[in-house]
Amino acid sequence: MNALYWWLLLAVMLFCIGAFGVLARRNVIVVVMCLELMLNAVNIALVAIAQFRVGAPGAGTLFSLFIITLAAAEVTVGLAIVIANYRNKRTVQADQYDQLKG
Amino acid sequence: MPGGDFHPWIFFILAFWILVCGLGVVAFKKVMYSAVSMVFCFLGVAFAYAALSAPLVAVVQVLVYVGAISIVVIFAIMLTEVQEGARDQFFNRQTIFAAPLAIAVAAVVSVVIVSADIGRIGDTARTPSLHQLSALLFNRYVFPFELISLVLVAAMIGAIVLARKEEEKS
Repeated sequence: MNALYWWLLLAVMLFCIGAFGVLARRNVIVVVMCLELMLNAVNIALVAIAQFRVGAPGAGTLFSLFIITLAAAEVTVGLAIVIANYRNKRTVQADQYDQLKG
Repeated sequence: MPGGDFHPWIFFILAFWILVCGLGVVAFKKVMYSAVSMVFCFLGVAFAYAALSAPLVAVVQVLVYVGAISIVVIFAIMLTEVQEGARDQFFNRQTIFAAPLAIAVAAVVSVVIVSADIGRIGDTARTPSLHQLSALLFNRYVFPFELISLVLVAAMIGAIVLARKEEEKS
């Protein structure tokens, strides 16, 4: 088996750990952290494929840099929403954000 | 043999490190422990990039993830620290569905990856030079580059607007 596949399997496992955390944890901040884990997993896969594939050098590296930048923007806005919500509800537990139920 | 131009055991140590720290993020009961575990996971991912001979991505990973994002997360934890007493369950009710779902997705995607035709693959990781990368960034991908700076400005303004204290309406 080529070395690339091992890296891809690592990425899949990390992605699923992150997905499990997003689905299962209550704390919204931990959910955001698990989202970051998922983005990292995708980045590992992207960089691995870009480094091992023949042809088009550099594009994968650049796209992983773009993803890192967008992840920074995303975590900033996400945590700002968490803090704004905390100011209203005094909680960071996801199952208590039930304003929309009326 | 996994890995590139290095001893295969390094790959297994790295993978073990990344996965254990990732599991720590999910499993730690205290949020701050999760955050520290996340920082170590990001550090492991940075080493993975270095092992994949992508040094630029590794450096940016350390700068952005290990440096900036973890600081933001820890600040958010400290701003929202609540003493709610010992909550009995820190997983929610979906855990019974989430765990088999995650394992199933992992299994299916692994099978797909192993059986997929990815294209022509070299035996070792090759690294594009910094000169190549910058030429590509400022010629072919200059539009996404500018767009991302716009997104960053929008995210900054949005974060300030969201997290600012509500003014009294007069």
